[in-house]
Amino acid sequence: MKFKHMLGLLSAAAMSLALTSGALAQQTVKIGAIFPFSGNAASAGNHAKAAIEVAMDIINNDHPELGDFPLAKGAGLPGLGGAKVEVVFADNQGSPATGQNQALRLITEEKVVALTGAYQSGVTLTVSQITEKYGIPLVNGESVAAGLTERGFKWFFRTTPVASDFARDYYDFLTDMKAAGAKVDSVALVHDNTEYGTSVANTITAAFKAKGMANIIDVAYPANATDIQSQVLQLKEKKPDVVIMITYTSDAILFAKTMQAQDYKPPMLLADDAGYSDPSFLKAAGNISVGAFNRSSWSVGKPGSPTAIIAKMYKDKSGDEMDDTAGRQMTGFLVLMEAINRAGSTDPAKIQAALKATDLKPDQLVLGYKGVKFDEKGQNILASGFIIQLQDGQNYVAVWPKATAEKPPVMPYKGW
Amino acid sequence: MSFVLVQVIVGGLLLGAVYALFSSGLTLVWGMMNVVNFAHGDFVMLGMYVAFVVYTVLGGGPLIGAPLAMLVLATLGVIVYFALIRDIMKGPMLAQILGTFGLALLLRYSVFWYFGSNFNTLPSNLVGGTIDLFGIRIEASRLLAGVVALVVTLALHLLLTRTALGSKMLAVSEDSTAAQLMGIRPDTMQAIAWAIAAGATGIAGALIATFYYIVPTVGETLGIVAFVTVSLGGFGSVPGALVAGLLIGVIESLSGYLISAVYKDVVVYAMFLGFLWFRPQGLMGKM
Amino acid sequence: MRRAIWLSVALALVIAYPLLFSTPFQQRLGALVLLYAIAASAWNIVGGYAGQVSVGHVVFFGCGAYAAMAVYHHLQLSPLVGIPVGIVVAVGIAAVIGVPTLRLSGHYFSMATIAVAELARLIVINIEFLGAAVGLSGPPVPRNVFDVSFISALPYYYLFLIILIITLGITWWMTESRMGFYLRAIRDSERAARSLGAPASRTKLYAFMLSAGFTSVAGALYAMMFGFVDPESGLGILLSVKMLIMAALGGAGLLFGPLVGAAILVPLEEISNNWLGGKGAGLTFVLYGAIIVLIARFQPGGLLELVYRLVAKFRKAPEEVAAQGDKRAP
Repeated sequence: MKFKHMLGLLSAAAMSLALTSGALAQQTVKIGAIFPFSGNAASAGNHAKAAIEVAMDIINNDHPELGDFPLAKGAGLPGLGGAKVEVVFADNQGSPATGQNQALRLITEEKVVALTGAYQSGVTLTVSQITEKYGIPLVNGESVAAGLTERGFKWFFRTTPVASDFARDYYDFLTDMKAAGAKVDSVALVHDNTEYGTSVANTITAAFKAKGMANIIDVAYPANATDIQSQVLQLKEKKPDVVIMITYTSDAILFAKTMQAQDYKPPMLLADDAGYSDPSFLKAAGNISVGAFNRSSWSVGKPGSPTAIIAKMYKDKSGDEMDDTAGRQMTGFLVLMEAINRAGSTDPAKIQAALKATDLKPDQLVLGYKGVKFDEKGQNILASGFIIQLQDGQNYVAVWPKATAEKPPVMPYKGW
Repeated sequence: MSFVLVQVIVGGLLLGAVYALFSSGLTLVWGMMNVVNFAHGDFVMLGMYVAFVVYTVLGGGPLIGAPLAMLVLATLGVIVYFALIRDIMKGPMLAQILGTFGLALLLRYSVFWYFGSNFNTLPSNLVGGTIDLFGIRIEASRLLAGVVALVVTLALHLLLTRTALGSKMLAVSEDSTAAQLMGIRPDTMQAIAWAIAAGATGIAGALIATFYYIVPTVGETLGIVAFVTVSLGGFGSVPGALVAGLLIGVIESLSGYLISAVYKDVVVYAMFLGFLWFRPQGLMGKM
Repeated sequence: MRRAIWLSVALALVIAYPLLFSTPFQQRLGALVLLYAIAASAWNIVGGYAGQVSVGHVVFFGCGAYAAMAVYHHLQLSPLVGIPVGIVVAVGIAAVIGVPTLRLSGHYFSMATIAVAELARLIVINIEFLGAAVGLSGPPVPRNVFDVSFISALPYYYLFLIILIITLGITWWMTESRMGFYLRAIRDSERAARSLGAPASRTKLYAFMLSAGFTSVAGALYAMMFGFVDPESGLGILLSVKMLIMAALGGAGLLFGPLVGAAILVPLEEISNNWLGGKGAGLTFVLYGAIIVLIARFQPGGLLELVYRLVAKFRKAPEEVAAQGDKRAP
């Protein structure tokens, strides 16, 4: 008990420190962003950085062309008298320890009022332990490990859909495709043995089996493989109707290349975001993955729409096409900023209260979620996605569900 | 069934040849100078980036990329030798690990800083697509790498065993003082060995780039494979590295197909450890 | 006598550090230095004194880290209970792998230990009981003080300091004993040591087991502080290399070498990351790599050796001082 007391006192002290310095720093709101800027996932981290910089531009400068998009009109945050946003970026180096050290530094040295990040679920976990202890909101836009929102944390909010959401989407999509005449009786799950690959594959397997889809082939492989020919040959032999690819960029490229070399084309290839969404993948192997379906919450939308304008801003900033991962990170950040604006304060407790009251509509978002609204665990209950297809080998188009589809799905998988 | 198995084995052999190709340079410096090069994987990575630059700037394939990578890396090898290796060789083994590990980070993140963190690839038709041989499918790029692996291994082996230069290099590695008494300059010989080793690694990188992805951190993955290949083959034994590479390739491929891919490296490491128990000097190494 | 004075001054400084540098980040940095110093000092027992360059010590680190998290995760016990569990497992594993691998000389031993470490990581990543790829986490909210989950780094700092002192004390006692004498003889020439009747195999194995036990404690402390372990952070080969470079940087085979190495490398790593990491260009590691290369090139025996040399020069009594020494530069 005594310890808890001390904890409370300490965090209160930290908070008041954060507050006083916030008031002194002439109307800027300081946010910390922790991402992998080095190591194996650096590509994702650098894209996240570009996405957040675009979001900062939207907030800090007047963007009448974006219409009613939240925080676009006028410069700065209107709820805080036009205060500008400043983001302090920190590199987690892909390490849970470094991520936690950086979170502590951002909170205590940089006096950030809230945090976003940290990409890898393991790092997000250790970062959230610090934000919880210090009572600083952490809005995560991209880590999918189910356990993150199961710890009873009060300061952790997650906007991204998680594996159980994808599993439901996949099931519905496959059911619709079956109604349209496609064969979807046997499904192969190709996944790496990282936390991402295993947990998503397990969730999908459980969800599909619960709905009576029993014929599931599990093809696991070690991440960052030097060779995956054996896996492609296994697929070639077992001839599943649908292959679901749960892979990061490096392995996704290898799979695409090896499938071409082994002349293997599944009737339907459905990717679980990640590697298949990475613009590097599209550049490297898009033209040999024609017809691949992919999960995404991102869609460029019609020319002139806010999303199309934001996509262009992102491309100008990073040199790459906007993708789902960058979009999810941008969404996490924008949801946080919208809450701060609504709170009209940089007091962490008020931001926390505002986050809890968040209720954003689809047209207020960069991504195609049904909205943003957090449950008591901090999970966004309106997160959802759609299915996109790489029909021309260069750009994805939305093909499912019908309501938001730009083009009808094309079967079978063409490859190259 | 058995047909697929043949494909698996062929794939394993091609993979193994690639392992052998990028390990030959490591075994040379390791065996000759007793230097552990923790930056070896990053030398391969540099070779890959040379090929990438050659393709993006000149539009050229490995025919230009590989020789150029060889030259660039050989030059780098000589620079690294004189600037770093020559001095740390005299120190304890720990200083070598320290120095080459620092070098690895320096090289990896300099490339990262300059080229960025994105994944790059060369177009898959740069080396003539895929060959279909009675239903066994072989990527031309991997076949080329395999053939070059054999050629490089043979050339290095002949160089060490049949030429005056090779004899001098071996003399230095056996007994540097005695070699010096016979009028051989150890410094020159070792610099040449580094040039050859790094050059061969450059060729390996340029060829791997034709079918693998190119990213600054790729050396980490490849470096450990090279370490295991070299120790299995026996430090300093160029033919040993070839045999070990092929063996590892086939075992990985077979265990990935027959057991499960997530255990294929477990099989390789377990086999390697078991092997060390019976033959601590490696397949073809001297005690 | 002089040595005792220097040691007490240094110890006083170390005890006072978190009070003098009292921001949360500085305190945490201090705790991290001590944590890595424990791991590197443990490595030093076998890597420095016995000259057996293990690149697989992360296995023992992982034993401790996983034991601490597993006793909490499966039995809801305090992670502290994991410390003895981790020690037992680590020492057991050290005995099992030490017998075959310690026969190997030089690079083969290093390679075999790398293989053992990779093997451990690849196996654990598939073991559900140990959290597989997801990893295990500690208590999300501390239940009591025995969960060793504090908001301030101060308790960690002094806990780590006590354990470091125990580690160094036992190491010192070992070097002064017959075992230390054998180890030095083995490091200089195993063949000579054997021919003089030193029980080389047994001595090396004991050193390996002792080293494994302390490394495991470091792992358990790491997991308690960060509240999480997964195959990459608990069994990744990079951590082995880190222990090794810290020891080598400070001075392997010197009692305070690893501490000096950690005191330089950890702040270098953290501060350069604070400073350059957010720019997203990987410059942190360019700087880090360059500094390591320069030290290896110009001071291959480690920085502490340089200090001793300078001190010796200053005092003009080389033999006496070079052998043993003080903690920090005067």
